[in-house]
This record gives sequence, C-alpha cells and structure tokens, in this order.
Amino acid sequence: MARRLVWNFIREHGLTYLIVVVTIGLSKVIQVQIPNLIGAFVNSLEHHEMLSSVRFYAVRLALVSAAFVMLFGLGQYLVNRLARVFEGELRHRLFAHWETLEPHYFHRHTVGDLLSHVLNDIPQVRQAMGGGVSQVLQALFLFAATLYMAMRHVNLVLTVIALVPLLGIPLVVTNMGPKMRGQSRRVQESLSEMSDLAEESLASIRLIKSTANEDIESERFRGRVDATYHEAMQQVRLNTLFQSLIPLLTGISFAVTLSYGGDLALTHRISLGAFVAFTVYLSMLVRPLMQFGNVINIVQNSSASLIRIETLLNAQPAIQDPANPKPMPPKPSITFRHLTYRYPDGHGPVLDDIHLTIPFGSTVGIVGRTGSGKSTLVSLLLREMDPPPGTIFFDDVDIRDIHRRDLRAHISYVPQDGFLFSSSVGYNISFPRDTVDHWELVEAARQAEILSTIEGFPSQFETLVGERGINLSGGQRQRVAMARALIKTQAEIVIFDDSLSAVDSRTETAILRSLGELKRQGRTVIIISHRLSSLRYADRVAVLEEGRLTQYGAPKDLLREPGLYRHLYDMQTEGGPARGC
Amino acid sequence: MDVKGRTVAPSSRQSWRGLIRYAWPYRWRWLAIVGLVIIYNLTQVIQPDLVKIAIDRYLLVPHAHLRPLIELGLGYLAMTGLGLVANMMQTRWVAATGQAIVRQLRMELFRHIESLSLRYFETHDTGRLLTHISSDTTRISQFFTQFLLSLIRDGLTIVLVLAAMLWLNWRLGLLAATVIPIIVALSALFRPPLYRAYDRTRSRLSRLIAFVAENLTGMRITQIFHQEAKQLRAFDTLNTAYQEASINEFRWDVLFNRTFDLLGNLAVAFVAWIGGAAVLHRAIPLGVLYAFISYIQQFFAPINSLTQNWNTLQSSLISAERVSEVLATEPTLRDPPDPVHLPHIKGHVVFDHVSFAYQPDRPVLRNIVLDIPPGAFIGIAGETGAGKSTLISLMARFYDVTEGRILIDGIDIRAMAQQDLRRIVAVVQQEVYLYSGTVLDNIRLFRPEVSREAVIEAARLTGADEFIRRLPEGYDTWLTPRGANLSTGQRQFLAFARTIILNPQILVLDEATAHIDAISEAAVQAALMQVAKNRTTLVIAHRLSTIRDADQIAVLHQGAIVEQGTHHELVRRGGLYAEMVQKSQAPLSSYA
Repeated sequence: MARRLVWNFIREHGLTYLIVVVTIGLSKVIQVQIPNLIGAFVNSLEHHEMLSSVRFYAVRLALVSAAFVMLFGLGQYLVNRLARVFEGELRHRLFAHWETLEPHYFHRHTVGDLLSHVLNDIPQVRQAMGGGVSQVLQALFLFAATLYMAMRHVNLVLTVIALVPLLGIPLVVTNMGPKMRGQSRRVQESLSEMSDLAEESLASIRLIKSTANEDIESERFRGRVDATYHEAMQQVRLNTLFQSLIPLLTGISFAVTLSYGGDLALTHRISLGAFVAFTVYLSMLVRPLMQFGNVINIVQNSSASLIRIETLLNAQPAIQDPANPKPMPPKPSITFRHLTYRYPDGHGPVLDDIHLTIPFGSTVGIVGRTGSGKSTLVSLLLREMDPPPGTIFFDDVDIRDIHRRDLRAHISYVPQDGFLFSSSVGYNISFPRDTVDHWELVEAARQAEILSTIEGFPSQFETLVGERGINLSGGQRQRVAMARALIKTQAEIVIFDDSLSAVDSRTETAILRSLGELKRQGRTVIIISHRLSSLRYADRVAVLEEGRLTQYGAPKDLLREPGLYRHLYDMQTEGGPARGC
Repeated sequence: MDVKGRTVAPSSRQSWRGLIRYAWPYRWRWLAIVGLVIIYNLTQVIQPDLVKIAIDRYLLVPHAHLRPLIELGLGYLAMTGLGLVANMMQTRWVAATGQAIVRQLRMELFRHIESLSLRYFETHDTGRLLTHISSDTTRISQFFTQFLLSLIRDGLTIVLVLAAMLWLNWRLGLLAATVIPIIVALSALFRPPLYRAYDRTRSRLSRLIAFVAENLTGMRITQIFHQEAKQLRAFDTLNTAYQEASINEFRWDVLFNRTFDLLGNLAVAFVAWIGGAAVLHRAIPLGVLYAFISYIQQFFAPINSLTQNWNTLQSSLISAERVSEVLATEPTLRDPPDPVHLPHIKGHVVFDHVSFAYQPDRPVLRNIVLDIPPGAFIGIAGETGAGKSTLISLMARFYDVTEGRILIDGIDIRAMAQQDLRRIVAVVQQEVYLYSGTVLDNIRLFRPEVSREAVIEAARLTGADEFIRRLPEGYDTWLTPRGANLSTGQRQFLAFARTIILNPQILVLDEATAHIDAISEAAVQAALMQVAKNRTTLVIAHRLSTIRDADQIAVLHQGAIVEQGTHHELVRRGGLYAEMVQKSQAPLSSYA
C-alpha cells in the first residue's frame, strides 16, 4: 500500500518530476563543459592566441557555470520540495489511520515505538525521495557525461586506467556507510543511557542523600560516561578511516594520471590542455561514485522503512461498525446477559457470566479489587472491545448493532487517569463539543467542584494545564476531566471510572452531591470505585470478584450480608480488618 | 534561541578561561596536533604544485623524458599518503582529547550536583540540570573537537594557500586574495537566515512530535468523545507548518550552496581573465596559472567551515558559562571541619526546643521537645500542613534547625558528617522510587558489597520475598521508574527491604497515603513492625491505624506539639487526636 502511495505520488506530480530530470540532467551536461573549457583555455594560451580570445574563455566559463548553478539549484529544490510534501501526506495518513484503531492496539505498541516510525521511518522515505532521487540523477548524468567527455576529448585508455582505482569508492561507501550509521546510533544510545541515569539519579536525589548513596551513584554514572567515551572514539576511528580511504583512492588515480597522462602529453598523443582538463574530470568523477554508494544505502534503508510504514497502515481496526446499524434507543436500560469475556491473548475469562440490568435513570456503583474486571466491563460498554454477540443490550438492541458514533454520542466518560491535553483548562473542558458557551463551561466546572480553583488561576479558563496536565494536581486533573464529561449534556449515560481517587473526602462529598443533580435530570450514572465512600448515594452496587458478579443490591442491604462489601466497609471505616465498628 | 547572540555575554572572558583550563593539561598533545595539521596542510598545498612542476618543467619543454614524470607521480602518491596519515591521526587525537575533557567535566559536574543540598533541588528544575549534564557538556566538547580544530585546520589552510600563492606570484596572489573578504561576507550574510530557518524547523518538528505523542496516549479520550476529526485538523495545522518550515529551510540551503558554487566558478573565471593575460605577456608560466586555479578553490571550504564554527563557539561559550555557574554553587549545608567520629549509636533521639522556618516570619515548627528512648516506636499525627514532613527533613538534616538542636546519643547532628548521619538515620519516603535495574539492585541500591543472599534475607524478613518470587524473573526482574510493574503496596515492601539492608539505628518513615488496597495494608503493617524491631522508629502517619500501637503518639498542630500519649490515652482525652479518629470514619457512617 505504501509503495503504491509512492508511485501514485510520482504519477500525480509527473510533470514536476519531468522538469526535475530535465533540469538536473541538463545542469550536469553543462557542468562537464567546465573542464573542457579550461583545457581549451590552456591550449589557447599555449598557442599564444589573441588576448581577446583568451579572455573570451573566461567569460564563457562564468556564463556556463551560472547556467549550471541555476539549473541544478532549481532541480534540486523541486525534487526535495516534493519529497517534503510527500512526507507530510504520509504523516497525515498515518495519524488518520491511528485514529481508527482501538485502545487494544495502543496497549500492544508503546507510544515510543509508534513515534519512532514518525521520527525515523518517514524521514527515511523522504530522504530517498528527495536526496536519493536527486543524487541518482546527478550521479547518472554526471558520470555518463564526464566519461563521455573524458573519452572523447582526452583519451580512452587513460580514462579506463584512471577509473580503476576510483571504482573502489562505491564499494567503500556501501561497505562502511551502514557501519558508520550503526556506530552513530550506538553513540546516541549511549548518550541517552547516560542521560537516563542522570535523570533517575536527580529524580531520586532525596533517596540518594538520605541513604548516603552519592558515591555509588557517581560510580554508576562513571560507567555510563565511559561507555559514551568509547563509543564516540569508535565512531571517530570509523569516520577517519572512511575519510582517508576515499582521498587515497583518488590520490592513486591522480598519480596514475600524472605519470601515464604525462607520458601521453609528452608524446603528443593528447594535448596539454586535454591533460589539464583530464585532471579536473577526475576530481569530478569522485562525487558521482560516492553518490552511487550513498544511493544504494539510502534505498536499502528506506525500503525497510517503507515496509514498516506499510505494516502500520495495514493494521486493521479490530472493531467494525455494522453495515446497517440500528439506532440507539432513547432512554435505554442497560442489560448484561450472561456476559463472559476473555482477552484474545489471555487465559481465563476476565468477566465470567455477568448478568445484570441497570434501569434507565438509576445510579449504579461497581466495586471490586484491582483486576476484578471493572475496567473491562466499562471498555465493553464503550465498545472499545467487542463483547460476544447477544451479551450487552441497550433496551433490546445488541450493542454490536449500534454504530459507535451513535453509541458514544449517548455516553460520557471520566477516565481513571484524568488524561488531559496540554492546552488550556477551557479547551479541555469543552473538548467533547465543537462550540461551547462560556456559561456552559462555568456550569460544568461548578458541577465538578473545580470552578473556584479555576477562578483562582491567573488566567482562569485560559490557564495552560501543561504536558498531560502536569501543572495541576492529581485531584484537579480528575475534576477537570469530570467537567469535560459533564459538559456533554446530551449524554444520557455517564460513567465514572474510578475518577475520584485523588480528591480529598470533602471535595468528594461535594461532587457526589452534584452527581445527584444528574440523577434528577434522569440520567444513568455508573460509578466505578474501590472507595466505598464514593458509592454512598448509589441506588445499587455491583460487587465484582475475579470477574464474577458476587453481590448486587442496595448498599444498605449489602452491608447486612456477609461478603466482600462488608469486609471492605469494615476496613475503610476503621484501621484494621480485626476491628469492626 | 539566543545561541547565535550578536555579542558575547560580559562574562565571556571567564567562560574562555574556563574552557582553556580544561584544555591546559593536554597542552603537549595540542601542540602535536598543530604539528600534524601543518604537515597535512603542506601536503595539500604541495599537490597542485607538483602538477605545476610537471607542466612547466617536463611537459612544456621539448625532448622531455618520462622518468621524472613517474617520479612525480610517486611523489604525488607519497604526499597523499603522508597527508592522509597526518590528517587521520590529528582528527583522532583531537577527538580523544575533546572526549577526555568532556568525560572529566561530566563526572565533575555530576559529583558536584549530587553534593548539593536538597534545597537546591527543590528550587531548581531538574530538567535544566539534566541539560547541563548532557547537552551543555557536549557543546563544550564541540568547542575542542569542532571549533578549535577548525580554527587550527582551516586557519592554517587559508594561511598556507595564501602564502603559496604569494610565493608563486605575489601580484596575482594579492589579486586572488580579494576573494577572501567576499567569501567571508557571503558566509556571514547567509548564516543568520540559515540558522533561523533551521531553528524554526526544529521547533516546529518538536511541537508536531509532542502533539502526536500526546494524542497517541490520549487516543481513547479522542475516540470516546468522538473528536477524531477535530484532532486531525489540529494535526494538519502543525504538520503543514512543519512542512513549510522544512521546505523553507531547504530553499535557503540550496540558495546558499549554489551561490557558493557560483562564486567558486566565478573566481576561477576571474583568475583565468587576469592570469591568461599574464601568461600571454610571459609574466607567469602556464603551470603557475594552473596552480592558481586549484588554489583559489581551496579557499572556499575552510572559510565556510570557519564561519559555521563561529556558531559552535557561541553556543560553547554559553554552555561553559552555565556549567561554571553550577560548579560555583556551594552546598548550603556544610560538614563541620572535623566531624565527630561516631561511636556505636544506641539511637537515643532528642528534639531539644527545635524551631524551624523556611522564611523568617513564617515558623513551620515551634519549640518541639521530644525525648525518644532507644528502640522506641513513636507516631506523629497531625493534619496536612501541620509540619510533619518538615520534621523528617530536619531529622535527616536536609535542612538545619532555626533554633534549638537535635541530638542523637547526646551528639548534635550538625557536628556529624552528613553522610555519617544518614548512615544511622534512614528515611523511608512516601513515594518509593524505583530505578531501572533488577529487583536485586533496587533493594541493595546497587551497592556491590551487598550479597544476593543478604538481599533475599532482607526481603524474606519484610515479606517482600513472596511477591518477588512470583515476578517473571524473580530477583532478576527488570524494574523501571515509570513502568507500573509494581503496586503501591509492593513498592512499600521493597522500601522496607532496602531499610533492612541499610540497617540504620534510627528509622524515619513517611507513611504512604496512596491507596494501598485494604488487604495488603495489613501485610504492610506487619512488615513495618518487623523493620521497626530493635530500632528507634518515627512514623509520620497519614492513616491513624498505622500508629495505633505506638509507644507514644505526638500530635502536631500548626507546628507545635499539642498532645502526647498512647492511642488510648489520647482517645480518652477527647482532644484533637480523638477528633481526627472520629473524622476518619465520618464519610461512611453517614449511611450505615
């Protein structure tokens, strides 16, 4: 697919690419005239021609080089511009594609891995389409033109003999290029390992100081610093070797020219001017030969990158919306019918035969320990994962028959981690909607008990929350995330995924009170928590234990029967499990 | 970025001196490098001269012989070889010296930063400190490996080429030298826009990458609220901005390089124009003209490289200034000139009328008097902001008391070396920090002298052994600071095991508020009791149940101790403590 993208792009911009080929080709043909001109110039001097005709060569030299520079610059600019346009399109496609993939995909791939494709693979492809194409064209035309000029105007045998040592250049480039790139990567890695250690060390400075561990840390750091030293030196060794090999080969070729070419000139088989021109041609051959090597390396790397990008673009969303979706029923009750769910890659079921109904307009709490299946239940309800057919219903419509856009238009959600975008508070709260009036913003903030905090900020709703909301405390983040869910007033179902864990108990009480407002508006509220105090206004509480629904009922009733609920209650009211109330 | 700043900052002379100070120990090696550079440059200058000799002496004369031409060819080859070896050695030595300097600098900087007092870290951004350690030191090394090298190599090339031209023919040489100011001016003219274009591309790329990173993390939120189209639009804005900047950067790049090419060819045409006439008038031989054509092109690369490295110099100077600023910072808390040699410590801790204030008019702790017998278990209770955490900082001497003194076995802690003090007082923080490393190393804090058996024994004592064995690779499981591989409770166990290894006489525990799930809380409590055995223990409690069995509980309120006694005494008294106990049960009892 990605390869087709490349071809389509080239076809789409065919005219520009044609101009590129013509300009670069022409520029190189012109460029090779320069040594020939110098040679003719030397000959004219040797034959004591008129001053005006000698100077005429200087003027031609200036004109020819101006033409070369302009054509070459134009071609080079055009091809690299196109490469950057293609790069932008590829990035757009990738981002748009990622937006269609479900959370499970992002669990399997770390953000760092995915980013490395944007940071490394895409620029690699750009390099092939920009520098790669440009270098191939330059090398081909220049090499062919130079060879032609050298053979035609100078001497065939001399050209062949002088060329032999130069042919080693592409070999050296293809051989050492990957090694040098690998080494440069190792240098970067060792540097970032060093920084990582320093970062950890600084982050844990309290621990280090309080355990008098400074010397140990310094030794650990020394290990990393030494590693960067050795990697950097290895890089220098490789680079200097490379930088010496190319001039060495050129030097050999030059020495041969000097002797054999000198002999030719001596015996008048070539003119003196031709001899001088040939020395210039020789230096012009070095670049295209290096470029051949470069291009081979670039093509190898970028085809590997292209394949990786292809794999990314080929990842199919695991969840498909139905072809003929049924509409989400208005004011639906939610029913789980013997829902058993296991992860595709997991062993046992995460949810085991869950059977319950949440009537419309009720407030339901779900409680359970870490790993009891609470979050899975929510993910299924949001259809971030596919439940088995016939297990989750809104009234009598299977969730799998509803389009996700329709489903999610009716549900609002407060995540556990209080994820925020690094923008303003106002932007984050109004995130679910395209346009929001200021009073709606204020109202949502008030309900989430964050209004007075925001009004205390110097720039109020315009306050920037920092990267992932770093400028806010954990509790403030959760409350902004809550306001974000509450501003979606058209949602009939609101889910709180353990989203009160970082707020203090006074704020919690106030928030719970404004949740009562939601209930009065006749909306279904689902609260997930392992803090029982968050569930005190729930009509019903479902207790999950290792994926099974073990208790379901009004909190008061649950307190009377033995089970996890009462156990948790005992522990959270008094210190230890041994002492009840 | 102010890196290309027009004027060097006032303290630049000091920065220079600082840089030279690092280079000084290697002065002989620098001298050798200069020697090698001269050899290399000479070979480069001689090469066109050899061709000149070939033309003038052997090709332009009638009845010449081949033999001297072959000799010249071999001579050329020898020159090339010699030049390459000299260049290779010189580059390697420069790199080795620069790297050695940066290695030493990094160690010095790291050690120094680690030695600073905690206050420094609370008032300075650690991100910035990191930049000092990695980027600033790299930039300083570039001063040696790039700027100094370029100054020596390129400067010498220009001088030698110029000398060779003047020697061949001083009139023509002087004329040819007029291209130097033109090249310099052109370079200087292009540099700022090139740099700006580069800078804009970098910053737009990093904004784009940050956006993608954030949106990949928060993809769920975008999808649940169905805002994919909005985010894609935002992405496109950034993507296009970067693309434009990148194209613009390339445009400047092409413009600059092609202009340089053009100038190079025009210079050759110029020499041909002037020199052609000179050859015709027999003022110079033809070979000299050939040499001039080669020489004049040799000006371009070194001058370009010198102007390029001018930026390197600027950023190196700024980095050197920043680094020397950090190195000049003194730790606020100093060890006494001759610290007390510590005898065997029993762990008798006395807070003798201790007061403390971060700012003079705002006391955080007032007149604290506490006498803690060796081996006692003391709980400190109080609401947020009562001054509990400050008490810990004083005990470990992260700060000095404002008034009064803290005694351990009758010795003022200010009379001890800080490292000695912290060997007898261990603080367990609320947040348990994990290092990138194995469980084993995390428990023994990378100390090589602690054996694997000792670590396992410590883990067994605190009850951590059980969960560690269940980890995929047991004690060799790799942990990371950010990776959520351990729960809060498990981290707490690790911290206890660390304490057993440290084996302090006095333990100060800042109990974790984070919600440990209620089942593991009991186990944590048991582990705490195990760790506290035979040690003087101070527990700062956020959850009153932790200190219920303490020998003594001191209740802090607005920086002063308002109540003291056992749990039962205090509950019976019906004061602040009793109120706190009541409150901790309040939210639930409302519907029970």
